[in-house]
Amino acid sequence: MTQLTQMVQKVRQAPWRVQRQWIGLILLVIVLLAMLAGIYLSVTVRAGIVGREIQFLSAQIEQNQQKNADLQTQLAALTAVQNMEARAQALGFVPVSPEEITYIVVPGYVEESLVDLSTVSQDDSVSLLQPEYFETLFDWLTRKIAVGVAP
Amino acid sequence: MRPSLNWRYLTVASLLGLVAVAVLMQIVRIQTDPEVRELIGRSDLVVRYYYPPRGEIYDRHGHLLAGNITVYEITVSLADMTDPQAIALAMQTYIGKDFDTTLKLLTNPPAGASYIRLADYVSAEQATALMEVQKQMDADPRGNPLAALGFRAHLGRSYPEGTLAANVLGFVARNEQGYFGVEGRYSNQLAGVPVALLVPTDPRRALETPHISPGTSLILTLDRDLQAAVEEILQQAILENDAESGTIIVMNPRTGEILAMATTPQFDPNNYTAVDEVFTGSTPYNRAISQDYEPGSIMKILTMAAALDSGVVTPGTIFLDTGVINVGGEYIYNWDGGAWGYQDMTGCLAHSLNVCLAWVATQLDTDLFYTYMQRFGIGHPTGIDLAGEMTGRLKIPGDADWFPVDLGTNSFGQGVSVTPIQMVMAASALANDGKMMYPRVVAATLQNGRQTNMAPQVAGTPVSAATARTLSEMLAYALDTEALRALVPGYRVAGKTGTAQIPTRYGYDPELTNASFIGWGPVDDPQFLVYVWIEKPRSSPWGSVVAAPVFRQVVEKTVVVMGIPPDSVRAQLAGR
Repeated sequence: MTQLTQMVQKVRQAPWRVQRQWIGLILLVIVLLAMLAGIYLSVTVRAGIVGREIQFLSAQIEQNQQKNADLQTQLAALTAVQNMEARAQALGFVPVSPEEITYIVVPGYVEESLVDLSTVSQDDSVSLLQPEYFETLFDWLTRKIAVGVAP
Repeated sequence: MRPSLNWRYLTVASLLGLVAVAVLMQIVRIQTDPEVRELIGRSDLVVRYYYPPRGEIYDRHGHLLAGNITVYEITVSLADMTDPQAIALAMQTYIGKDFDTTLKLLTNPPAGASYIRLADYVSAEQATALMEVQKQMDADPRGNPLAALGFRAHLGRSYPEGTLAANVLGFVARNEQGYFGVEGRYSNQLAGVPVALLVPTDPRRALETPHISPGTSLILTLDRDLQAAVEEILQQAILENDAESGTIIVMNPRTGEILAMATTPQFDPNNYTAVDEVFTGSTPYNRAISQDYEPGSIMKILTMAAALDSGVVTPGTIFLDTGVINVGGEYIYNWDGGAWGYQDMTGCLAHSLNVCLAWVATQLDTDLFYTYMQRFGIGHPTGIDLAGEMTGRLKIPGDADWFPVDLGTNSFGQGVSVTPIQMVMAASALANDGKMMYPRVVAATLQNGRQTNMAPQVAGTPVSAATARTLSEMLAYALDTEALRALVPGYRVAGKTGTAQIPTRYGYDPELTNASFIGWGPVDDPQFLVYVWIEKPRSSPWGSVVAAPVFRQVVEKTVVVMGIPPDSVRAQLAGR
């Protein structure tokens, strides 16, 4: 028994064992740092790629808006009142005079008023992003509590 | 462990330690070195100028009246330029730029310049043609001589309807500034807010790039089809009557919305550089708001309205017209110099008797007459939302150039100047149960996809509803008996002709006149108010001959475009 205890003690106190412990510790730190660096690099690269995509899409949106405006104006030129009148006349239509018009009652007819060109409704203020993408844990907790408390 | 192994471990550890120290030192150096910091800073943020697209302008039904098209800016990079002559030649051939001027600019660039702008607002067709040539020259083994040319697409103003409503719209010059009309009045709102921003080039900070809202779009009260029809009628009237110019305004008297506003000379805002050639001398851009004149007999409706409202006269009041009246020591005569005998007030209006209306004004008393004129907005700008409105002139007692006779002459539209839009606003009170409406051209604004409609605004109530209805009936009766050319089959309208002499430096012009007509209908439910002014017609001097038929033509178009059924149909519908 005493012999066994002495042997274990010798092994524990061996210098190479202490060195290995140190090397293991250093390697562990290095591996941890490498992992952190790797994660950081990966996130940074992904953020960079997504950022580039955003920049590209923003530029594309701008180009498309420009193109839309251009096409809208071209369309307006093609359907200008002079052109439409000329095309109508070419098709055999003639301007109508008041006495040629017959008025009939159409139930439910709504008189034409000012055009509505709005593209968003007045209550369309809800963000397209889900709350998960911008709210903090505390915000989430507050929201959940508010929902739970609400009657 | 063996000693040799121990030594090797130490060596490796020392080397790694040295590398780590070197890395740390480099990190510190990058963070602190001013040269490196400047380099990082320069590439991290760049200044970008954002010019939001100019808002569009629509008519009340959503037809585009002013939009944007793609145009190009052509630049040359001096560092990359190898053949200035080839560039100058290409600019001359495809863009129309003078060869010598371009070459001089390229060979003697401003000091410190790295880029030169050769042309801007180049049409897409021209720019595309030049881009094609540039692309083809890439195959040149000696190098592309046009490689230094750069093209930047941006938006420029365009008016797809050409001259239609140009006097109302105004125009936008190359400096992106709006002039006259809606473009001038709402230039800042239409243009949006140009901004210069420091924008990060780091893609990870892409979301920091700000969103720039485009300019506000406008929806006008104008009806494109009615505007086109009215412009055509006006051109025809000027031609047929050999007149100098003309103006027609169609308004909804209930809301003050201008449905059509036509005037001369017409102008294509796409070619705005011709503005000085078209509007020579003192010619206003829009006579409807910027040219005052003596309105003549159409002013009588305001005098009579004031007298009826104050109770000085009733429609049945009888006046003995002897053909002359003395006001302030001066004699006033009728338009024909004749005496019309006993006349009631409707007869005075029907025959447009100056003597009678001068008498009515004297019965009103000076102060009350001018109080009513001011209530009708005479002498004040209407506040219409168009750039360049004139005030007109109403002399009042106390002014150095006011004389007692002015009370008499002002009553039938002499010695007082108004703009067409002032007369329209004043008459809106008579067509709208006494409520005078502010005239307006913009019906709604459109910002970030949200439309905000403008509410009609009452400018005042110069006369009571009962007075307005009584006068409308009197004028409708007067038209039925005396101005047959203005009558519109199926529709009962109220109105008044005007034949105004034109003041010159040496008194009134003996030959030329201003022929005008103002009227509204249907009398029982006025939905339109039409004003016609034909300036200096040579076919006939009379408003009843020149302007009344134009009024009828405009009303015939208006009822069709607005879908207003004849009186009999409306009565049937109301009876159901």
